Amino acid sequence: MAVQRTDADLAQDALAGSEAAYRELVTRYATPAVNFVHRIVRDRGLAEDLAQEGFLRVYQRLHTYDPDRKFSSWFFQVLRNITIDYLRVNRVPTASLDELQEEGNRGASVDRESVSPEQAAEQGELAIAMAAALSRIRPEYRECVVLRYQEGLTHPEIAEILGLPAGTVKTHLHRARKELADILAESGWKTNV
Amino acid sequence: MDRKQLERWLAEEANGHDEAADAAFAHLFAAVPRIEPTAAFVEHAVASAVRWRARRRRLMAIAWAAVVLLVTIGSIAAYYASPRLASAAIKAVTFASGHVIPWMVAYTKVAMEWWLTLGRVGTVIVSAVMTPGRAVAIVGVELVGILALFALLRVAGAGRLGDAQV
Repeated sequence: MAVQRTDADLAQDALAGSEAAYRELVTRYATPAVNFVHRIVRDRGLAEDLAQEGFLRVYQRLHTYDPDRKFSSWFFQVLRNITIDYLRVNRVPTASLDELQEEGNRGASVDRESVSPEQAAEQGELAIAMAAALSRIRPEYRECVVLRYQEGLTHPEIAEILGLPAGTVKTHLHRARKELADILAESGWKTNV
Repeated sequence: MDRKQLERWLAEEANGHDEAADAAFAHLFAAVPRIEPTAAFVEHAVASAVRWRARRRRLMAIAWAAVVLLVTIGSIAAYYASPRLASAAIKAVTFASGHVIPWMVAYTKVAMEWWLTLGRVGTVIVSAVMTPGRAVAIVGVELVGILALFALLRVAGAGRLGDAQV
């Protein structure tokens, strides 16, 4: 059974000139990178462009990477800096309802084979509502939510990426969830609890 | 992502169970659709990195070649031209020092004389005008002025803080 190499090992090999190691790193982080940037800029094409720039910047600075540090934290920090630099000089486009609907349909299609058409429709609507709600909360909350619940990072890792105390990250996540719950309730996703 | 998961999360939030709400939301959020990058994304990223590395290598090679060329040219020039350059430099230094040093000494002397004269005039004026009473009055006025300035700065600082708190 082949043992999967760690990100740090791949980074070391890429630094030594291994194209295969760098390709593996890009393959591992392509989807998280594009999704992370997309949640901030809300434009798919732009998210891909910025993610490309992020990968190149990471490659150019591999010699500064400390292998004792978690690669994902370092990677997202670089990516976030690039995105923020872009946003400082450019306006953020807003996501259209069609885009959100398209996203929701893509996500919902995963479950369609195992559920009834009504349930599948409801799942799709909920996915759209959640994506829309996520785009409405404060950007710093959104970053925390994406890093925590989409990328599965811990509070200290998120704190390192965002340059915030871990306690602040926890508070942001708590408030983000509250805001998301309120927005979903406003959109009609109320429950009987 | 279904209604049961949503209800579970909202119930935990409503009950104030932060950790349970965190876990329930994580479960719910896992179903939020993710964007898949285009098929050419990885190849494009790798190609950009390879191009950058090749360009960097070319630049390094050109830089090294330029350094070697400059050092070689410099060495050859120094070998052939050093006797003439050295004698020219010595001549220039001697000429400059012969003209500049006497000029600097003369002007420094004049400046010192003016300075001493001004000092003497100042001493005479002070001894004629200043009495212990006047000296105390002047120091007192200065102290009051400093206190007034300090108070003004404090008031201005408090005003700025008030603005920031709004």
